[in-house]
Amino acid sequence: MSADRVLFDAPGPVGRRRIRIATAATVLVIAAVIALAVKQFGDNGQLAAERWTPFGQLSYLRFLWDGLKGTLLAAGVAALISFPAGAVFGLMRISVRRPVRWLAGVYVELFRAVPLLLLIYAFLLGLPRLGVNLPIFWKLVVPIVLVNTAVLAELVRAGIGAVDRGQFEAGEAVGLRRGQVLRLVVLPQALRLIVPTLVTQLTTLLKDTTLGYVVSYPELMKQGNNLTVYTHLLIQTYLIVAVVYVVINLLLSQLAHALDRRLARRRVVDAGGAAGGGGAPHVAHETEPAGDRIAPMGQLF
Amino acid sequence: MTEPLVRIAGVNKSFGSFQALHDIDLDVARGEVVVIVGASGSGKSTLCRCINRLETIDSGTITIDGKPLPEEGRALARLRADVGMVFQSFNLFGHKTALENVMLGPVKVRGVRAAEAREQARALLRRVGVDDKENNRPSELSGGQQQRVAIARALAMQPKVMLFDEPTSALDPEMIKEVLDVMVGLAGEGMTMVVVTHEMGFARQAGDRVVYMDAGRVVEIDTPDRFFTDARSDRARDFLSKILAH
Repeated sequence: MSADRVLFDAPGPVGRRRIRIATAATVLVIAAVIALAVKQFGDNGQLAAERWTPFGQLSYLRFLWDGLKGTLLAAGVAALISFPAGAVFGLMRISVRRPVRWLAGVYVELFRAVPLLLLIYAFLLGLPRLGVNLPIFWKLVVPIVLVNTAVLAELVRAGIGAVDRGQFEAGEAVGLRRGQVLRLVVLPQALRLIVPTLVTQLTTLLKDTTLGYVVSYPELMKQGNNLTVYTHLLIQTYLIVAVVYVVINLLLSQLAHALDRRLARRRVVDAGGAAGGGGAPHVAHETEPAGDRIAPMGQLF
Repeated sequence: MTEPLVRIAGVNKSFGSFQALHDIDLDVARGEVVVIVGASGSGKSTLCRCINRLETIDSGTITIDGKPLPEEGRALARLRADVGMVFQSFNLFGHKTALENVMLGPVKVRGVRAAEAREQARALLRRVGVDDKENNRPSELSGGQQQRVAIARALAMQPKVMLFDEPTSALDPEMIKEVLDVMVGLAGEGMTMVVVTHEMGFARQAGDRVVYMDAGRVVEIDTPDRFFTDARSDRARDFLSKILAH
């Protein structure tokens, strides 16, 4: 509801009819594509029971489960390092000290531009020649951290930039030091603004781990790949793997919504407390637009 | 007469090629209420913001309570803690409740214990008449309420001087009075105030002196009575005829 209302006029009768027609057409096309795919699979025997029943076996499942654990471990470690590091670099980019700003700027521009795959090859093929041979896990995780730190730094900087200048000035006018203004006033509000985008970046980071197959790190994709070598059940395996990724990312976006709602609700609860103290309960409708204004951002990115 | 609390001497300030302040001299005595008026773009807000160094100056000196305005770091932060500032757009901390807005400075800058700061903040919110909103965030308050919380936030630091940068310009008409009432009360209690405003009623009622600025210069300084009835310069008379016409 929110995105439509904030970004566009509510559609009129003609618009509503067009939207209905477009919706119907889209649904038809998608249904046709799915039906075609299913028919093709069926014609080629891909839907045959014996091609799916093996996935009921514990050994198959355990194989994929190990892959999922590998994915979550790599993504978790990468996220735990790159989120704080991204915050640090984001703050460095707005430092008053020019060399600090410059250093962070070079880092961010460089690692945001270099393709992740190229970095992984550098750690896989380049650095070992120079005598730097990391364990397989880190050959995957370090490049992911390098790239995501750069992207997150830009997000943090953008979030800080989106906080009204008056907030800085008010903090300074009260007598807070620059660091305190950032920590106590600006960052909490900047983070609130970028929470949806941060979660989006987390899903990107998770998908980055699929490059694990390049370094032979046993994450979900690689494990699926290994499985097909023995079973030749390509389509079935990759469909299952794809579904797992979709489910994880759905869970992450649920997390984003929950975070967003929790932050929004906290305001209403506070207001409710005040209402008990004699204030009017009109606050709720004033609170919503603020939450709504945030919501489209998550949907746009 | 004792030394002025705020002394502004020979201050110049440019934004690029635009000179916003020309050779400004202005003293504000302890307990005095100085009202700065002038057309928009005359430099009155810039002057106000220079007093706690939210704007830097190119030349000249600003002295507060005998000490020159520090240029950076801890000393500047300490000075700002002694100078209350109220903004046109309120600038309450958006993620904090009214009470937390008022408490933040005393706790984080002065090191006051939270319990003590809370009591003091409650008393201040009561004084400005928004104590029933202490747990509301700024987005849940009206403009007038927000500005009164902002005044309480500034007062919580027990400032030597209060700066008001067009405090009522962003308010709906019916809310202007509630903010002005608080300011008149403050003036009556002997607070030293520098007020940039278009509220001529406030200037007459609470101002000790009126400073009229035009094109970055102080054109006239006088008592409100004389300024409003018998302005000396053509520019001031022209300005007054425009704003007092209706």
